[in-house]
Amino acid sequence: MTKPSPFSVRGRRALMAMRDDRDISIVRRQLSRLGMAVTEHDPSVAPPAAETIDVIVMDTDSIPIKSDAVVAWKIGVPIIALIGTETPSRLKWLLDLQPASFLIKPLRSAGLYTALVVAFDAAQRRIDEAAHLERLEDRVRSRRIVFAAVLQIMGGHGLSEPEAFTLIRQTAMRHRTTVEQLSAEIIASGGMPNRTPRTA
Amino acid sequence: MTKPSIPLGLVFSRTGPYAMMAGEMQKSALMAVDEVNQDDAFDFTFAPHLRDPGGVVAAYHTACDDLIRTEQIDHIVGCYTSASRKQVIPIVERTERLLWHPARYEGFESSDNVIYVGAAPNHTVVPLVRHMLDHISSDVFCVGSNYVWTWETNRVLREIVTSAGGHILAERLLELGETAVDHIVKEIVDRKPPVVFNTLVGESSYAFMRLLHAATVHSGLTIPVLSCSLCEPELKLIGQAASVGCITSSAYFESIERPENRAFVSRWKARYGDDSHPSVDGQSTYVCVMLLARAIRRAGSVDVNAVRRAAANHRYDSPQGPVWVDPDNNHCFLTPRLARSVHGGQFKIFWEADAPERPDPYLSNLDLATIAARAEKSNDTKRSIYLRVVK
Repeated sequence: MTKPSPFSVRGRRALMAMRDDRDISIVRRQLSRLGMAVTEHDPSVAPPAAETIDVIVMDTDSIPIKSDAVVAWKIGVPIIALIGTETPSRLKWLLDLQPASFLIKPLRSAGLYTALVVAFDAAQRRIDEAAHLERLEDRVRSRRIVFAAVLQIMGGHGLSEPEAFTLIRQTAMRHRTTVEQLSAEIIASGGMPNRTPRTA
Repeated sequence: MTKPSIPLGLVFSRTGPYAMMAGEMQKSALMAVDEVNQDDAFDFTFAPHLRDPGGVVAAYHTACDDLIRTEQIDHIVGCYTSASRKQVIPIVERTERLLWHPARYEGFESSDNVIYVGAAPNHTVVPLVRHMLDHISSDVFCVGSNYVWTWETNRVLREIVTSAGGHILAERLLELGETAVDHIVKEIVDRKPPVVFNTLVGESSYAFMRLLHAATVHSGLTIPVLSCSLCEPELKLIGQAASVGCITSSAYFESIERPENRAFVSRWKARYGDDSHPSVDGQSTYVCVMLLARAIRRAGSVDVNAVRRAAANHRYDSPQGPVWVDPDNNHCFLTPRLARSVHGGQFKIFWEADAPERPDPYLSNLDLATIAARAEKSNDTKRSIYLRVVK
């Protein structure tokens, strides 16, 4: 699946969690010009399901700091924070929400497109980074298996640790598989699996 | 010869949720306008244009837009809440006008088109917390209204108290206007905290003070209450007994013993009646008009740039003492004071700064290490007092 470009916002669905009528009309007009689908939402009510929206435009001044409301809004949808009050107490609350981008009030017609592009890009990067992190964590988790396989090859073939690892790595490359996968096979079969290397 | 007249915008919500305070502010503004108009030292008069946004945030924008575009007004005195000020800032910035803002607020703002005459957080919450640490306790129970003033004031309090090794025992918040305070008072009576920090506003605060007083009297407790906002007209509303003993931080009290203030208070009473009292925000509104009038006189013009330059660093001996605008951040040098509310709806001042203090709206110069060290030193003395009491 190709990743959506952050520059193409047409057709994406925005949720406006805002109170001020002037701000709402500015955001609605700009989002409509960009071809986005716009829904208004009462900021004091929990947001709808994440699957139904692509971005949240949130007036952060419209939600009290001392409430559990912030948790309800953390649904994995990128948030564009509209900021009026720059007090540290409010900003701390905002950091907890991890906005993908922000705009300082008063709003103007300019700036919203930049905020959207930055938000979509930041959201995609977060997804990519999370996937990358998961792969790394998988590898860390399988270190134990790789180590056990190295020990097995060392014993079975009378090799030193670096030699055993090199053998596993080279075999894995020949078999077009990962070191972790091959290690699991070595442990399962009690030795280097007897596979015909695939040739192109 | 009649003097030329300068239109002046006065934007106060005389209706709506904080009508009482805004009404006090407008009374002070009109008194200042009359004094300027009758004073030969000024070669102009002010023509006030009153607007009442009714406490509706969006209506502030409409009111100021109308004052600027229709009435051609350059200078507006007004706003009480931060939400209303933030509505007005875009329009005064866009049209290059000046808003003279009288009320103390939580800081973290500095617009070129606002002159902040009310106290900055370093004038209010910081000296109060320092006093609490030095003389009462480093453990405190917080109760406040659920909005930006409380959030930010409590954050500053928490930062200072924690760095001094103290604790926030609780932080209880009520929605604005809420008067059901029983559960909080009950918790306080049950837990007996050494001190309560009250950032409730309006009716919530009055209800809380009354009920807390009744409950502590009933159970024989003495729990000091601290405030950054209580003022004389509110003491009257709370009622005689319950309003006594609250330690309050403010740049203005009616009881300030300065000739300028004694004269101000008697002019106020002559105008509004013997049983009426000027308040901190009211006096500050008076100072706004006076600073503006003096700046216009010095500038020889109402031009915003010229007036701003003329106001910078120009000392005015106001009722609350010398006041001048710091051109670095457009806030004012003010003298912080601490007082205890006493019988008769008055405050007895027990501490004031040696000189007007530079405004620090971003608390950039707040030195937590120094406060913590002071608190530690005073902890020893406090402890010895307790020992003597306990025997």
